[in-house]
Amino acid sequence: MTSQPVSGRLRSRSAKLRAAPVGALAIPVVVIAIVAVTYPLLPLSDAGAQSLADGLRPPAWARGGSWAHPLGTDQLGRDVLARLAAGARLTLVIALLGTIASAIPGIMLGMLAGYKGGCVDAVISRLVDAQLALPYLLLAIGIQSVGGRSLTVLILVLALIGWAPFTRVVRAEVLSLRTRPFVLGLRCAGVSTPRLLMRHILPNIAGTVLVMATLQIGTVILAESALSFLGLGVVSPQISWGTMLAEGRDTLVHGWWVAAVPGAAISLLLLSTNLLGDALRTRFDPGNKEF
Amino acid sequence: MAAVASVRDLHVSAQTSSGAVAMLNGVSFDIDAGEIVGLIGESGSGKSTIVRSIIGLLEKNARIDSGTISVVGRHISAESDYRVIRGRHVGTVFQDTGGSLNPLMRIGRQLREVVNHHAEGLAKRARAERIRGSLARVGFSEEQVERVLRAYPHQLSGGMRQRVAVALAVVTEPELVIADECTSALDVTTQADVVRLLRTLVNSSDRGMLFVTHDLALASSLCSRLVVLNRGRVVEVGATEDVISRPAEAYTQALLAAGRSL
Repeated sequence: MTSQPVSGRLRSRSAKLRAAPVGALAIPVVVIAIVAVTYPLLPLSDAGAQSLADGLRPPAWARGGSWAHPLGTDQLGRDVLARLAAGARLTLVIALLGTIASAIPGIMLGMLAGYKGGCVDAVISRLVDAQLALPYLLLAIGIQSVGGRSLTVLILVLALIGWAPFTRVVRAEVLSLRTRPFVLGLRCAGVSTPRLLMRHILPNIAGTVLVMATLQIGTVILAESALSFLGLGVVSPQISWGTMLAEGRDTLVHGWWVAAVPGAAISLLLLSTNLLGDALRTRFDPGNKEF
Repeated sequence: MAAVASVRDLHVSAQTSSGAVAMLNGVSFDIDAGEIVGLIGESGSGKSTIVRSIIGLLEKNARIDSGTISVVGRHISAESDYRVIRGRHVGTVFQDTGGSLNPLMRIGRQLREVVNHHAEGLAKRARAERIRGSLARVGFSEEQVERVLRAYPHQLSGGMRQRVAVALAVVTEPELVIADECTSALDVTTQADVVRLLRTLVNSSDRGMLFVTHDLALASSLCSRLVVLNRGRVVEVGATEDVISRPAEAYTQALLAAGRSL
């Protein structure tokens, strides 16, 4: 009998979590977005100003830190807080555009493969396999050696890295959806294939896609930091959290905060986008609506 | 009366890894306006293959080898013919009550989706009236109609959902309605409701109906004619009383005996 109240409590806790207002979960994302937009107006020191004498100052709360540099300085004496704020803009832009650019072709190809089946499916599935087998850094180096280095090329590289997982998951979802009686019913009612895909199947996979997209934001940010580390992504003097993370690796022993601060910011962004994605999915699921 | 649909000498086969397998062997029957034809047979006898041949949604590995299908006098052969008849001339109701409606769309929008597709010439108000009319015809009261239009499928009971599925099939005023095992998933009282509803729908118009079922008792209470199917062949066609009281074929006798022994 004792298991009853425990599972009951668990249930009510998870119910409470589900019911958590979307607004609360969006706060970190919104704050980061506001900082990204209003950064030039914020009372922060210049993100690019170097002062070698002030190199590797720890954060304010650690021994030797001061409030002049609340989150410390990097090896060139640049204020980490100012760089964090300055990097938010490019990070968000890359994360959003990179995710959208990989999601849209990924979803389209997945729907096509899942719905059409046959040789269309075979070709697209082999493309997915090929993409997943190809080391993405090789791909990135190849493209950038041809296309040069710019934000557009970076987004293109991120899209080429990220479309395949979307295609795989969407294909599987559509494969199971297309045999559902309501799809058969709509086909019998004469609803055309494009309309069926866009109006009926797409909304039914939207929940999965939304959750995948929030996870993809994390992958994109990390991929961008890896590319930046190799000098293929964002390069100085432009700042993104990925480049900050990459630069911080050099000083991990003497100045952990240089990498830890952008790392924590990335984690916060990922966590809140993931929770937000989950909350949005629950919010728009009509199964939770009362009659 | 004129036939709303006729199937002549239909042969369908499926390609499998071990070669072609015949699914239908020369099936022929007619459905006249104002009558309900029962298509009966055990699982695997080819009932669904006939339905899918008529609406042009055969499985990918199956194809029509020979024979003709015509609906409202129109000979059906190419995909473009199917596009014309699907929904507009043939309405279909399927078995699964829970899954036969889009779970993410309110009932009103689903009905609109189908009506808009087929009634380009109709004014917006006429379309709305048609939608309300179709729900009223399947037995919803005026107050219920408003509630149902705003509801998502999961908010309705199984019987209500199946009535909505019937409304969805008849909202375009098709000449032929195909009911494919549409009462099999319902409890007995709801089944009786739906059967009564189907009978009214046919009696009140010049519609024809193909009622597909494995339930001989149900078919005999609803249908005026029966087509008995076994292993892809029509073994018996005739008026319901004749088939039930004087079954000519051994298979029909066995089917009847199996029903009685339960």
